Amino acid sequence: MKRFLETGNFAITEGAILAGCRFFAGYPITPATELAEAMSYRLPQVNGVYLQAEDECAAMHLCIGATLGGMKTMTATSGPGFILYSDPYGWALGCEMPLVVMNSGRVGPVSGITGAPGQGEFYLTRYPTQGGNFEAVTLAPNSAQEAMAMVVEAFYLAERLRMPITVLADQLITDSFEDISVPENEHEMNEMGFRVWPRTFHRGPDFYPATDALDIPPVQMGTNMGGLCSDWTPTEEGYDIEEVEAHHRHAYRLIYKVRNNKQLFSHHYEKKYMDDDPELIVVSYGTPSRVVNTAVSKARSQGLKVGALRLINLWPFPDDLFTLGATYLSVELNWDGQLVREVQRAAPKDSKVHFLGTCGDLPTIPDLLETFGKILKNQPLQRKGWQLEAW
Amino acid sequence: MEYSSTSLIESYLRTRKIPSTACSGCGLGINHKIVIQAISELGYNVADIVWGASIGCAGRQTFATWKGDGFAGTHGRVYAIARGLRIALPPEKKIMLTVGDGDAFGIGLMHLIHAARSNADMTVIVNDNLGYQSTGGQFGFTTPQGAKTDSSPYGMFEHNLMSEGMDVMHILKGAGATFLARHVAMDGPVAVESVKKAMLNRGFSLVHMPYPCPTNFAARHLGSRNQVDIYRWMKDRSAPIGKEKPDTIWATGVWHDASNTRPEFSELVWNSVDKIRRTGAL
Repeated sequence: MKRFLETGNFAITEGAILAGCRFFAGYPITPATELAEAMSYRLPQVNGVYLQAEDECAAMHLCIGATLGGMKTMTATSGPGFILYSDPYGWALGCEMPLVVMNSGRVGPVSGITGAPGQGEFYLTRYPTQGGNFEAVTLAPNSAQEAMAMVVEAFYLAERLRMPITVLADQLITDSFEDISVPENEHEMNEMGFRVWPRTFHRGPDFYPATDALDIPPVQMGTNMGGLCSDWTPTEEGYDIEEVEAHHRHAYRLIYKVRNNKQLFSHHYEKKYMDDDPELIVVSYGTPSRVVNTAVSKARSQGLKVGALRLINLWPFPDDLFTLGATYLSVELNWDGQLVREVQRAAPKDSKVHFLGTCGDLPTIPDLLETFGKILKNQPLQRKGWQLEAW
Repeated sequence: MEYSSTSLIESYLRTRKIPSTACSGCGLGINHKIVIQAISELGYNVADIVWGASIGCAGRQTFATWKGDGFAGTHGRVYAIARGLRIALPPEKKIMLTVGDGDAFGIGLMHLIHAARSNADMTVIVNDNLGYQSTGGQFGFTTPQGAKTDSSPYGMFEHNLMSEGMDVMHILKGAGATFLARHVAMDGPVAVESVKKAMLNRGFSLVHMPYPCPTNFAARHLGSRNQVDIYRWMKDRSAPIGKEKPDTIWATGVWHDASNTRPEFSELVWNSVDKIRRTGAL
């Protein structure tokens, strides 16, 4: 094990390499630029390729091209680049190409504030492209060390589910310096819970069977197996077809290979005081969860019955975690409230659900404690002018 | 020269997709045959070539016709996919892309330019049906000046990439393409020779191949769906480079041949990676 005082971008690079990534294509964008820089330095050392693309749309297409040739690939960006991934993301979902997509959230919409954290792409990672008829998978770490672990995990899930996996971080995770341990061998990787799945390729003839089964290898070019993949609805052999039943069979696989294999993500969450009869459950993901965890501990020491539920696997949304009949509070890095909508949907029918938002800056512990107190005392939450969004 | 479609189809194409669902009288099949003929004459096997296609008439009708491995990309992005694939494929495998004019010269032009810039080994056949015909017949960026289409009912009047002095071939040459040719579908064996040269270039090659669309383009612009009319109209407006007439739209032949003069993209990348890995520097 080697220890470093380094950024999340460094940790992600090392994680990707450990997972077998040997191709990265990117386009400079704050706050994911340093990840591209680290890849350009590290990949050639391990016989890998870094390409700088003409734009983000090309970056992800370059990755799926290399995936199509049998390589493990990754790309990374921030919100304004993630929107340009929509086109290749759809292609990768439809053609079922494993790759890892990293999004370091900043303040939006559009260019917004480049060097501050935001969580504006919660729903965008669920619907990263048009057309529907698919499930998406998103992992959201809250530290540099966990970002490394989640990138390794994303490569594992990408292979087993034969699809792109999004790692949703934010500017504080990718840019901040933290204490990072990098495993140096397989034994240490196992000890840290890192799972790796090898790339294999599909030998046909049914490249797109109507099944929810895991571990169907992707189509690969250059193997002379007559593999076919395209942006059109495929027959089971991969021919393009305009037929409703063929489309239904295709959509069944895209949706249910994820929905019917949720055991793959069942450990991606963190609970704090959740078994101590919480009356208020604070839900969060990413960097804000670190402040939330501290605030919840403080609240407990003050006798407030608060618990924390941190989501790592955002999509498919872990409805199973929302069983307790308590009051819920969603803490997010946006002013409009995104995660809270899913919490409202997943929480028991008679549970009250509240929202506390900030953006570009983390919520403060006093603000959180005040909000917890008000909620527990049934006092009304309201917007304080333009300064704080709470409801 | 052997011109037996049956034997070419048996050797290289999937009978499930041939004949294609193209309209009656469509010239795309002629272009496709020119390409397959070139492949055959060069002695390539099915396993030697990975085939990529795009969106629209040219992409949809050629996708999965190749017996071997094949893919089709989103509109205009197939050059970026092919460039990534080029890195992963063994160097001896060829990449053939059959795309349309909208794909190459409209939505995908930036990716095409970067494929040319990097001199990525691929042969791009731009099957140009003079506009967006699969969506009913709108003008594209190489549609002849004055052409009446569904989206230029008064005649196409904008400057485009075939206007005097601003041919798309100049853009691609400036961007670093190492082989460029143009042929209309009626060029037959001459076009086959150019496609062969394109495939023998280890680098970025493009052959622009305008072909007749009786169903939409000719119906609107010539007022006739008779395929003879559009074939004659195109043939009259094409001439070999150097023998152009005042009404020539398509100057045909090899536009630029710098084959095998510049390091190929994936070779350059892998050689550089190898050197960095061994010595820590370039």
